[in-house]
Amino acid sequence: MALRPRAGGSALSIILNNISKSFGAYAALHDVSLEAKDGEFLALLGPSGSGKTTLLRIIAGLEFPDTGSVFFGDEDVTDLKAAARRVGFVFQHYALFRHMTVADNVAFGLAVRRRRDRPPKSEIKRRVEELLELVQLGGLGDRFPAQLSGGQRQRIALARALAVEPRLLLLDEPFGALDAKVRKDLRRWLRTLHDSMGVTSVFVTHDQEEALELADRVVVMDYGRIEQVARPRTIYDLPENAFVYDFVGDSNRLPVTITDGHASFAGRPLAIKVDGAPDGPAEIRFRPHEVRLTSSAEGALEGRVTLILPRAGTLRVEAEVDGLPRPVELDLAADAPVTHGAPIRFVPTEPRFFAS
Amino acid sequence: MRRGVGEGRGARTGLITLALGFLGLMLALPLVTVFAQSLSNGLGAFLDAIRQPDALAAMRLTLLVAAIAVPANVVFGLAASWAITKFDFTGKSLLTSLIDLPLSVSPVVSGLIYVLLFGAQGWFGDWLGTRDIQIIFAVPGIVLATMFVTFPFVARELIPLMQGQGREDEEAALSLGATGFQTFFRVTLPNIRWGLLYGVLLCNARAMGEFGAVSVVSGHIRGHTNTMPLHVEILYNEYDYVAAFAVAALLALLALVTLGLKSLLEWRYGHAPGAAH
Repeated sequence: MALRPRAGGSALSIILNNISKSFGAYAALHDVSLEAKDGEFLALLGPSGSGKTTLLRIIAGLEFPDTGSVFFGDEDVTDLKAAARRVGFVFQHYALFRHMTVADNVAFGLAVRRRRDRPPKSEIKRRVEELLELVQLGGLGDRFPAQLSGGQRQRIALARALAVEPRLLLLDEPFGALDAKVRKDLRRWLRTLHDSMGVTSVFVTHDQEEALELADRVVVMDYGRIEQVARPRTIYDLPENAFVYDFVGDSNRLPVTITDGHASFAGRPLAIKVDGAPDGPAEIRFRPHEVRLTSSAEGALEGRVTLILPRAGTLRVEAEVDGLPRPVELDLAADAPVTHGAPIRFVPTEPRFFAS
Repeated sequence: MRRGVGEGRGARTGLITLALGFLGLMLALPLVTVFAQSLSNGLGAFLDAIRQPDALAAMRLTLLVAAIAVPANVVFGLAASWAITKFDFTGKSLLTSLIDLPLSVSPVVSGLIYVLLFGAQGWFGDWLGTRDIQIIFAVPGIVLATMFVTFPFVARELIPLMQGQGREDEEAALSLGATGFQTFFRVTLPNIRWGLLYGVLLCNARAMGEFGAVSVVSGHIRGHTNTMPLHVEILYNEYDYVAAFAVAALLALLALVTLGLKSLLEWRYGHAPGAAH
């Protein structure tokens, strides 16, 4: 059956052209264009209200764009209803049919087909069992959804979506309602499953770690616009703007004055060269782990250690710097010479400037 | 042991006694009286009273009216709550408040509305008269008035329940390829079946017990347009207490059966009628 890669490995691409969508006066999406390539695992990442779920629902045919078009491969599906799109959709809260057994839930998409398209009962039964095995829940077919754990429900929802041999798989916050341990396990399992099936998949998340770990490419969204589309590594290392930089990792902000590409803070020159910043006041950003401790005061930022949190292999240190509203966050080596209340000197090694 | 906040034992006992006493006086005692009065001349007199042709006719009419009004309002209630909770459209809030109208209007007024519309002097009176169609002082009027009064019961039961359940189940069904009808009968209806049954029960109890609206449009023609509540009033006004209370006892029995079924339903599907599972 179609749980294996299609013949010739021809998974479908998704192409969104200039999609806009408003709910009353609230504009959820502004002119969004995006392509998910064949067999790709794409993450829509953004804070709540960024339009990522609306975009997913438009792909599924559960919402329709005000303007723009949706293509699956070279087929225009813009006006096609959800039932006709053959898209597997996994809902955030699973939306399992509570009055049906697990097996009936999984069989639903096959059982509602027109008679001539519907496989015989024995065939449906066999496929349900196969799918339950695939999601590692063989033997639970007679249970009701209420009798399952969150992680199990999640996998049943996935099996139900896969039963109709979907052309695409769409997942809305697939791990949102699960606890941390189960989430990690399911994440890896889902990635393996995706790779073995080769179906183009899109998932929505607000968790940058999840998006960066799981996806082939990440689409960062904010206020109904796409901020950046890139591979996870690129998103993290080369964010295109301040929003992406702040959203995909911890960041410190430092108001500085630039003179000939060199930054000074509170009137003192820093040993920092900033690319692309014009002369005058500017805000630069740096990640907590991108700092070097130093003993000399020259060219360094000076602060006082207010908090030391040991983490796996590192120390998270917070230091108060005169002239900054919030303490600076630093990730230092576990054996770094820091003492609570003592002064600390450091230089950001990879400062970034973003034109606003 | 932890003590309750505030009140001492005396106050607690006092309040409980007061509440039980009030309930006994206002609710239990009248119920007992109805049954006691109806059997005051023995079981034979009771049976004779409810076997009178006029009494039987009243029962038949009451059953007929309920048999039409309840299914009609089930269909309407389902359609309205389905539309209100699963779709967005203009006029939605107007529809929601219209559903509540019969609850805020006095039943007598509801009855009068139909007299004004369909009575001999009413808006459609001439049109109906020339075609020899009688609505007021006839069974159709009674059915219409009952339907109006019982309009909200099913919808009001279902709307909060369906709102709580959201649209995800329906969207899941649609994305799996189900048609609108399949989604309704295989997903929506099973999700709300207990709430629906509960609404039907309340609707039925009100349909059989309605007095005010029906009284205005009925014309009180014995054996023809008298429902059970109206029949009770006639008997009572004629000082035929045993017969009046006998028919009243049947209505009270209906109320008790409704109450029993309602408790059974609540027990069967969780604590509140709106419970999700």
